[in-house]
Amino acid sequence: MLTKGELLRYDRQIIIKGFGKEGQERLKQAKVFIAGAGGLGSPISMYLTTAGVGTIRIADNDKVELSNLNRQVLHWDKDIGKRKIDSALEKLKQLNQDIQIEATVETINEANVSQLVADSDLIVDAMDNLPTRYLLNKTAIDKGIPFFHGAVYGFEGRAMTIIPGKTACLMCVYRGAIPEGKFPVIGVTPAIIGCIQAAEAIKYIVGIGELLTNRLLIYDGLNSKFSEFSVKKDPNCKHCSHLGSKEQ
Amino acid sequence: MSIKININPFLQQYTNNQSVVEVNGDTVGQCLDLLAKQFPGIEKGLFNKNGKLLNYVDIYVNGESTHPEELAKSVKDGDELHILLVPTGG
Repeated sequence: MLTKGELLRYDRQIIIKGFGKEGQERLKQAKVFIAGAGGLGSPISMYLTTAGVGTIRIADNDKVELSNLNRQVLHWDKDIGKRKIDSALEKLKQLNQDIQIEATVETINEANVSQLVADSDLIVDAMDNLPTRYLLNKTAIDKGIPFFHGAVYGFEGRAMTIIPGKTACLMCVYRGAIPEGKFPVIGVTPAIIGCIQAAEAIKYIVGIGELLTNRLLIYDGLNSKFSEFSVKKDPNCKHCSHLGSKEQ
Repeated sequence: MSIKININPFLQQYTNNQSVVEVNGDTVGQCLDLLAKQFPGIEKGLFNKNGKLLNYVDIYVNGESTHPEELAKSVKDGDELHILLVPTGG
């Protein structure tokens, strides 16, 4: 049941056609796991917090560095040297005191990923490497949890939504990623991609709109263009082929 | 016969900053070979030492993934290729 304060706080989104109090109630009941509190994790967590997602679990094991501040807007000059999770928790609590935020200082790995995701309803990708993305993808498939992918490089970014067993997963689409290292990025790119991921998560929870499933959305910031590419489930996918080929 | 290849921004350093290059070819592989003949530097951004596509280079034809045929996929006049690189950052 939404409180009087919540009805007022979320009034402008409740009046969106198809959203309503029911949609807001669904957001309140939802548990979302965000993997990372960096460039993508900042806008994702901020907009899911302001939208009123009831429980946000966020995991990160890094400390704030000066070189993070061009894009990781959750972290400020005063936070340099602090754990990103502590910095994130402080800001997110100030954005919305009505929701529950569970912060975990851990590097996501094969041994802990299932426990970290726990009984979350959604997993949102805010990682900076493909191996961990694959790990999250596999966990999402195994647990039957929707997975919201995003990645950035320079002025370019991409997003895709995965519904286990129904749509193409990360392993269906990717065979590798640009070798790891110091990747170039301007803050506006993760801001745009992270907001798209957050919008996808909100739409999924509320049950409105059309998701970015079987579609890879590419943002080309240098040319101010969005392009869409069609992707399909791989019948031989190592992660999801055992779930059948029913497409959504 | 003309195939339009859209070059990923990161690879445009090899194409004199050209974002689109037109070539003639019957397959994705031929189109990329012709692109590499025109701009030799781009080869290292597309292929490994064995001449196979790098695992983070994805080719789409008319907005559709070329997997699993990739280089062998046939193309026709007017087709549009996109070279995408899978990013790591987050």
